[in-house]
Amino acid sequence: MRPENYQPVEHPASHEYELYFGPNHPGIEGNYALKVRLTGDEIVGIKADGGYLHRGFEKIMEDRLWIQNVALVPRICVPDPPPMEETYARAVEMIGGLEVPERAQWIRAMILEMSRICGHLFIVGGTAATIGQYSNMFWGITDRDYLLDLFEALTGARIYHMFITPGGVRRDIPDGFLDKLSHILDYLEARLPEYDDLFFNNPVFHKRAEGIGVITQEQALAWGVTGPNLRACGLALDVRRDDPYLIYDQLAFDIPTETSGDVLARTMVRRSELIESIKILRQIVQRLPQIKGPIRCDLPNPLAWNLPEGDAYARTEAQKGELAFYAVSTGGSKPWRVHVRGPSSMHAVQVLEKLCLGGRIEDIALIMFSLDACPPEVDR
Amino acid sequence: MTTNIPIKSDPNTDIACRTPDMEERSLLRKVIDRIADRCRSRSLFILHYCTGCGAIELPPVITSRFDSERLGIQPMVTPRQADILLITGYLSVKTLKRVILTYEQMSAPKYVIGMGSCTINGGMYWHSYATIKRLQEYMPVDMYIAGCMPRPEAIQQGFLQLIDNIDKGQAIAWQDYYYQYDKYLGNQQALFGPDWHTPTDVIAEARHYELFSENTIGEHTALLAKFASKYVTLQCEELVK
Ligand code: SF4
Repeated sequence: MRPENYQPVEHPASHEYELYFGPNHPGIEGNYALKVRLTGDEIVGIKADGGYLHRGFEKIMEDRLWIQNVALVPRICVPDPPPMEETYARAVEMIGGLEVPERAQWIRAMILEMSRICGHLFIVGGTAATIGQYSNMFWGITDRDYLLDLFEALTGARIYHMFITPGGVRRDIPDGFLDKLSHILDYLEARLPEYDDLFFNNPVFHKRAEGIGVITQEQALAWGVTGPNLRACGLALDVRRDDPYLIYDQLAFDIPTETSGDVLARTMVRRSELIESIKILRQIVQRLPQIKGPIRCDLPNPLAWNLPEGDAYARTEAQKGELAFYAVSTGGSKPWRVHVRGPSSMHAVQVLEKLCLGGRIEDIALIMFSLDACPPEVDR
Repeated sequence: MTTNIPIKSDPNTDIACRTPDMEERSLLRKVIDRIADRCRSRSLFILHYCTGCGAIELPPVITSRFDSERLGIQPMVTPRQADILLITGYLSVKTLKRVILTYEQMSAPKYVIGMGSCTINGGMYWHSYATIKRLQEYMPVDMYIAGCMPRPEAIQQGFLQLIDNIDKGQAIAWQDYYYQYDKYLGNQQALFGPDWHTPTDVIAEARHYELFSENTIGEHTALLAKFASKYVTLQCEELVK
């Protein structure tokens, strides 16, 4: 501190103190911050402080061609990019009246479910790490890497695939891909009992997570909670079932729910969703070889591609909750406006603030990770 | 890296400043520096600060699959104990302030790695109103890892290269921050406004490390003093009231 810059601030005597939680803090998910007021270790006030990752997506997208935005949208949510591509592509298809071939729809669903498993493994490991169980984090990240290898074989990239384009997908699946996928699914299923022993049935975790960060059903609906967090309160709402997109109406899967709405319930919902995603992927592996046809519909020259006037709202059940794109076209080669409705902007701001209030400081990280908020998507 | 010839003695402190010229060091100094560089390169801590999307490739790098611990590289939570500041992607202006504060808190020698094309030229967000485009305008960078996003293998290759550079005594970009503080501060002020100042007294540190040069102070650091004195006067006025 430069001595000449030092300004003593007089505060009245108080038991409260203010703590800056993040952005440079291992207990926070990504580049995000919270301003916490505490007495002892009890939280009496909390304010989310985002904006560290703001890039102005919605503005940048207005500046680029419809097809150029395909490369931009996955970067909105880093741990789970494919739903972004898919939803954007679907919004564009709705405006342009494009028909996606059936084979492309199956491939898209496969990518979405693989990404869901990746995201769940990542966040369950992260939740474990916040209470000091690092082995689970190491396992989760390593197992996720097997799926990333598959993504690489399919799309050429580990994280940002830019594989789902308006009108279909970029390439067909390579030879032997489905065998590799079912092999990995077998492996993941065999790993699940080990995860149970280490983490999901661990009494330490149960003691720590039970009754922490409880959301009731009314609160969940009022605060705009979606995805696994909503299903952890006992509401079986899922866009894949309620408003089927792609080929989800031809697949058999359950919507797992829990009732208590606390950290434990949210983690357990994710565990069951892992099993459901594996089930869905098995069905896709079985059905995909029988579905023949093109993987992309005919597009005009994408560099001179003017969409007709109109708007569209497309929504998806992403790994973190309900994701939606609202795109407006005025008949030009660029979007007039694109709005992103991300799940995390609710979870990381209003829900997190309310759940932490009255809690204890050591639970902030646990609650944040159990809500599975994704700061790059909050700030956009 | 551009290094200027530092002035021999500083009129304010009367301390003879060390010349950084490698050849002018005494033999003992050279031996000690060599040993220190070798030791430093074998144990590096990355600051746990994930600034952009590249951060998603760091968990694979530091956990079992790619395991950077076998290179002696581990994450560290506090800036004071960290050696490497890994800028994992785009920096919004708000983050850049925190990054500069963090960088100044780290103790020398410190190394900055810019990861991803966003740190090099703005990358994907080259026309975004919220992000900075060239990291090296605001702090000296030892190495860039290109790619969007770089693969874990590329990141590890970068680490290996950095280890090699430290071992050879070539990773000295941090000294540039002291030699050219005025330039870096000017760029920061252009972004954050003329009254931008950080808690760390970089000029005093430059003297302490004997890295004070004629470019350490200049018109921009003068502004620092001007605004600092404004705060002081304000404080005095308040006291009078
Ligand atoms: S270089 Fe690519 S991956 Fe890295 S921060 Fe920029 S957009 Fe993200």
